[in-house]
Amino acid sequence: MNAFIIDGVRKTFMNGDVKEEILKGINLSLKEGEVTALVGASGSGKSTLLTIAAGLQPASNGKIIFNGNNMSTMNAEQVRKIRSSQFGFVFQFAHLVPFLTVEEQLMLMLDVSQSKRNKREQKGEINKILKLVEMNHRKNAYPGSLSGGEKQRVAIARAIIHQPKVLFADEPTASLDSNKSKEVMSLIQNLTKALNVTTLMVTHDEEMLIYADKIIKMSDGMILEHED
Amino acid sequence: MNIAWKEIRKNKGRFLILGSIVFLVSLLTFIISGLANGLSQDNAALIKDLPNGQFYMSKDAEETYNLSKLDKDTQDKVLTKQKDAIAFSIQMGFLNDRTDKQHSVAFVTSTDTKLFPIVNKGEVVLDRSMEDDGIEIGDTFTNNQYSGELIVKDFIDQSKFSHAPVAYINTEDYQEMYRTSKMQLIFAPGEDSAEVPAELKAFSKEAFLNTIPSYKAEQMSLNMIVWFLVVISGMLFAIFFYMMNVQKMALYGILKAIGLKTSALFKMMWTQMAFITILSLLLSAGLSQIFNRLAPSGMPFHLTFETTIQLSLVFFIIGFIGATLSGMQIKKVEPLQAIQQGEI
Ligand SMILES: Nc1ncnc2c1ncn2[C@@H]1O[C@H](COP(=O)(O)OP(=O)(O)OP(=O)(O)O)[C@@H](O)[C@H]1O
Ligand SMILES: [Mg+2]
Repeated sequence: MNAFIIDGVRKTFMNGDVKEEILKGINLSLKEGEVTALVGASGSGKSTLLTIAAGLQPASNGKIIFNGNNMSTMNAEQVRKIRSSQFGFVFQFAHLVPFLTVEEQLMLMLDVSQSKRNKREQKGEINKILKLVEMNHRKNAYPGSLSGGEKQRVAIARAIIHQPKVLFADEPTASLDSNKSKEVMSLIQNLTKALNVTTLMVTHDEEMLIYADKIIKMSDGMILEHED
Repeated sequence: MNIAWKEIRKNKGRFLILGSIVFLVSLLTFIISGLANGLSQDNAALIKDLPNGQFYMSKDAEETYNLSKLDKDTQDKVLTKQKDAIAFSIQMGFLNDRTDKQHSVAFVTSTDTKLFPIVNKGEVVLDRSMEDDGIEIGDTFTNNQYSGELIVKDFIDQSKFSHAPVAYINTEDYQEMYRTSKMQLIFAPGEDSAEVPAELKAFSKEAFLNTIPSYKAEQMSLNMIVWFLVVISGMLFAIFFYMMNVQKMALYGILKAIGLKTSALFKMMWTQMAFITILSLLLSAGLSQIFNRLAPSGMPFHLTFETTIQLSLVFFIIGFIGATLSGMQIKKVEPLQAIQQGEI
């Protein structure tokens, strides 16, 4: 099933007085339970496309259709609601909240996404996810005391704790070494299957493509080819 | 989950610094304001501690109480009409003790009243500060314009005029010293109700105080000092809250990316600001009140509870405005920016 459709998306930036078209009409549909990988040269527009799809910035043109609704016509508050309850994000850096413990990071996410569960259910959920990312033993640690890989695993836990429909990941393994990268990638792949998530991921790393169900190559703001 | 509190718990040092700034600056303002008030009290406690009411002096005195002379008729007319009104006079002068040492005092005499102590002929009631100078009940004084001796009958608290202790004397003695049979002023407590005789001019307490040139000038400087302090402290608060918010922009961006509403971020900032400010103000207000009790008696320090609360409120409001203005940037933070900026 196509849960997420990117339809004719264009994006132009003003570079001084010059108008630059960074995305030149992107059409893409993403399937539930699949990891779609976005690859391409630096500057080809991958991150721009991902953040537009995730509702973090608007497109200049075109539609983002999620669950049959066009997000491009929604107001900021509607987009924020969808983002906080239906989407999850992982980026190159974990972007954890520095003054919250691992457990509290996840608690905050549950609060914000308004998954109406009581404290005990929340704790149970958090324990489950932390076991999944193998961070249960560090649940009272602050981000400052975690290694890069540990932080990234917490970030992934935070991205999925509220059971999002779509997971966006922009070079989630860029700050990790090869072994840790494989761990994180297989984690993302497993979660996608287990929770039937629609996952869109940008990566530079050829090695990581084995974890993708579908590979999309971008060049200069356009999609070159699909590969399954 | 209360993230405002969680952040304070983790970053105790940072909030402690902010709190100590609020504490020190407000303490400074409280103390200076207490000293200013003390000076003002030292200058005019005699008048300031009277209840609210009207002061009358003769019109031809041109608003200088020293030049005012009340006709006996006019005085009687007002005093019979307003039962609790009194006529009184103030003159600066000297008392010589037995060792011929001169003490500068403000002589005050009045018609029968509960507002001032009533003194018999040949007696004097002094401000308590004279007691600290070693004067005792039963001591005698002379005065260059007075034939007899004045015997100290009692001391009374907080009676100062023009930075000198007040010496209450009998009207007859006063008339002998200053060779006049006329009183200078009438004071009528309560709201202005009686009509004023044509030859008199009425002043509210504040207006009367301002006719005393030394008082007016001093008061202006003191008020200036206090308000400058309040304004500068307010700006300091605002700047510190601003710097703190600027440092937290990336954090606000991430919280927005997670899905927190802007209003939730404002609530977080306000909670922290209120917590820090209230705690610091309580501390500095308490400390300045203790200082009020413990200040050496020679130091003019006077800080009322009302003034402390008033100033605290002003500080709180200024802090709130400062934090809110600096927090306006929160509205502008884009979550995307925070994500592209890298790790915080
Ligand atoms: N806010 C912006 N304003 C102006 N130009 C921008 C903005 N964001 C991105 N660009 C430009 O758009 C182009 C594509 O950027 P984008 O980050 O999407 O590339 P990318 O494919 O993710 O590259 P990389 O692999 O290096 O991360 C770049 O030339 C970049 O300079
Ligand atoms: Mg990129």
